[in-house]
Amino acid sequence: MSMIKIEQVSKWYGAFQVLADCTTHVNKGEVVVVCGPSGSGKSTLIRCVNGLEAIQQGNIIVNGIALADPKTNLSKLRSHVGMVFQNFELFPHMSVTDNLTIGQIRVLGRSEEEAQARGLKMLERVGLKAQAAKYPGALSGGQQQRVAIARALAMDPICMLFDEPTSALDPEMVNEVLDVMVELATEGMTMMCVTHEMGFARKVADRVIFMDHGRIVEDAAKSDFFGTPRSERAQLFLSKILQH
Amino acid sequence: MYEFDFSSILGALPILGHGMLVTLEITLTAIVVGIVWGTLLALARLSAIRPLAWLAAGYVNLFRAVPLVMVILWFYLIVPALLSDVLGVAAGSDIRMVSALVAFALFESAYYAEIIRAGVQSVPKGQVNAAYALGMPYSLTMRLVVLPQAFRNMLPLLLTQAIILFQDTSLVYVIGLADFFGAAYKVGDRDGRLVELVLFAGAVYFVLCFGASLLVRQLQKRFAT
Amino acid sequence: MSYSWNWAVFLSPTPSGDATYLGWLLQGLQWTLLLSLGAWVIAFFLGTLLGVLRTVPNRWLSRLAAAYVEAFRNVPLLVQLFTWYFVIPELLPRPWGDAIKQTDPLTQQFLAALLCLGCFTAARVCEQVRAGLGSLPRGQRAAGLALGLTLPQTYRYVLLPGALRLILPPLTSEFLNIFKNSAVASTIGLIELSRQSQQLVDYTAQAYEAFIAVTLMYVLINVAVMLGMRWLEHRTRIPGTIGGK
Repeated sequence: MSMIKIEQVSKWYGAFQVLADCTTHVNKGEVVVVCGPSGSGKSTLIRCVNGLEAIQQGNIIVNGIALADPKTNLSKLRSHVGMVFQNFELFPHMSVTDNLTIGQIRVLGRSEEEAQARGLKMLERVGLKAQAAKYPGALSGGQQQRVAIARALAMDPICMLFDEPTSALDPEMVNEVLDVMVELATEGMTMMCVTHEMGFARKVADRVIFMDHGRIVEDAAKSDFFGTPRSERAQLFLSKILQH
Repeated sequence: MYEFDFSSILGALPILGHGMLVTLEITLTAIVVGIVWGTLLALARLSAIRPLAWLAAGYVNLFRAVPLVMVILWFYLIVPALLSDVLGVAAGSDIRMVSALVAFALFESAYYAEIIRAGVQSVPKGQVNAAYALGMPYSLTMRLVVLPQAFRNMLPLLLTQAIILFQDTSLVYVIGLADFFGAAYKVGDRDGRLVELVLFAGAVYFVLCFGASLLVRQLQKRFAT
Repeated sequence: MSYSWNWAVFLSPTPSGDATYLGWLLQGLQWTLLLSLGAWVIAFFLGTLLGVLRTVPNRWLSRLAAAYVEAFRNVPLLVQLFTWYFVIPELLPRPWGDAIKQTDPLTQQFLAALLCLGCFTAARVCEQVRAGLGSLPRGQRAAGLALGLTLPQTYRYVLLPGALRLILPPLTSEFLNIFKNSAVASTIGLIELSRQSQQLVDYTAQAYEAFIAVTLMYVLINVAVMLGMRWLEHRTRIPGTIGGK
């Protein structure tokens, strides 16, 4: 069953085309990694999935609900789709606990006790229960990103979107975040990740999508992608990245 | 429904024109003196000579804490007394104009001083070091290296302050000096057409100030790095 | 100088006998404070609303707010005040206009000054709020929306709290400006502080004492507001930022 369906999606910024006829899907429980050079449109694509960016052509359907349908309540849809940003984007004027509960209380309508309980449970899951009362400014980058993941998980999402979650982290903190993501994947969460971390992809991805200049150039099972990539560009990209 | 009658405006154009000249005279004087005296104040505030910095700060803070209306009234009180008692000059018929010029010049200098101070502080310290390393004394460094850069950085703010100044001149109303708005009020009061004249004056100010602000924005785009 | 100082004038009774001249000044101070604080309430809420409108996706709302700002920024405060006091009562429908003109002068003057100062300052607050919202990291809005918050909720819980903290210093400037701008109300006869100083000069000829006293009062207001701002900044500090806990 497809959790996320992207059908012939195209997007322009003015005259500049950022996405060209992209078609792919993510099944329930699948982990799909989206990679590609800078400017390939991968971040834009993932932001279209929860409607943060609008598309001019094509369809996006999440859990059977079409984004473009006028009857669709976009806020409600977003509350069921978790998103983690490159720059963490925790709310700096709220404590960690408040960051975790604000969405639950204001969007899902949970009571304060329920939201706090759930939030703390997620916090524990990412290993940061002790930081509950702190403010984001007092946390390291890796800790902030883990809190951001907990914030998304506290909403009990049906799938998670990751937009380059480790790109803004110092190298020594990348692993603590990737470990959380690997755990999520093995527990069966549907995930779509834009990332450069090929080690992560090799470990838990089911499929890998390679994008270049707004197009999906390759969309293959992990073993095929890393073993025998079909396109020259993907081969070139892999050779550059895998040198490290 | 109010019946508009704008006919008095046409005949009153000479009076209004004269009023506008008064406005412009005060504005331009205040800008020139404001920038010159403001620059000196800014440099004094930034200087290493403690008493000087302290005095300049006191001047700037005092003038910025008090309403312009009060400053205008103060100088309308002081200037004639100063002229006769201290300088021994008889107060001429133009005493309102003179006191207004003094009031605006000294008042706006405080505001210009803050803008220029920020501008000078925005020039990287390395520039000063480079100039000193070349052997330039303080005055030359300021004149040739720092102030030109400071002014270029602050030009939009200086011009915006000028537009504000232009609007503020209308406050000479409180000492009975007829600037553009004062003239418009007089005509409106005289002809019983206050509504039309106030609206007319507002429209003229709007056109002039909005136009000027558009020019400033163009300038900002040109200089944007 | 042929001027005779008399500081005791403040304690002398006024011609009407029911107050001292100092009492007149304090009455003026009271009206200044009332006018300024009232105008600030209008300016803050209207200005914040306009600032938000300047940043929403809807182009028409954004342009409407921009037009408001241009209208109130390019006309002198004095002209705006005279418009509120003299022009608007004439332009309203007959019964309303007459009703206004028949209320007691003090109320007319106060209302005109209140609305004038409030709307004038709102334009300036709008620009500050817009700048504050613009300097927040762009991802904050996305993060709020991604959680499922609606746009109004995102502004309320995420964007405005951040922006308002950022613009506390320039907002304080605007707050101080209201106190200074309130002096313009003296031109329509409102018995605020600077008008009372002129009254004192008219009645006692002790101009220097009167002006010095009034100047001191304005300086004191200034100091009080600056102290208040420092306290507020301290209270709302975000831990972990520069100056935080």
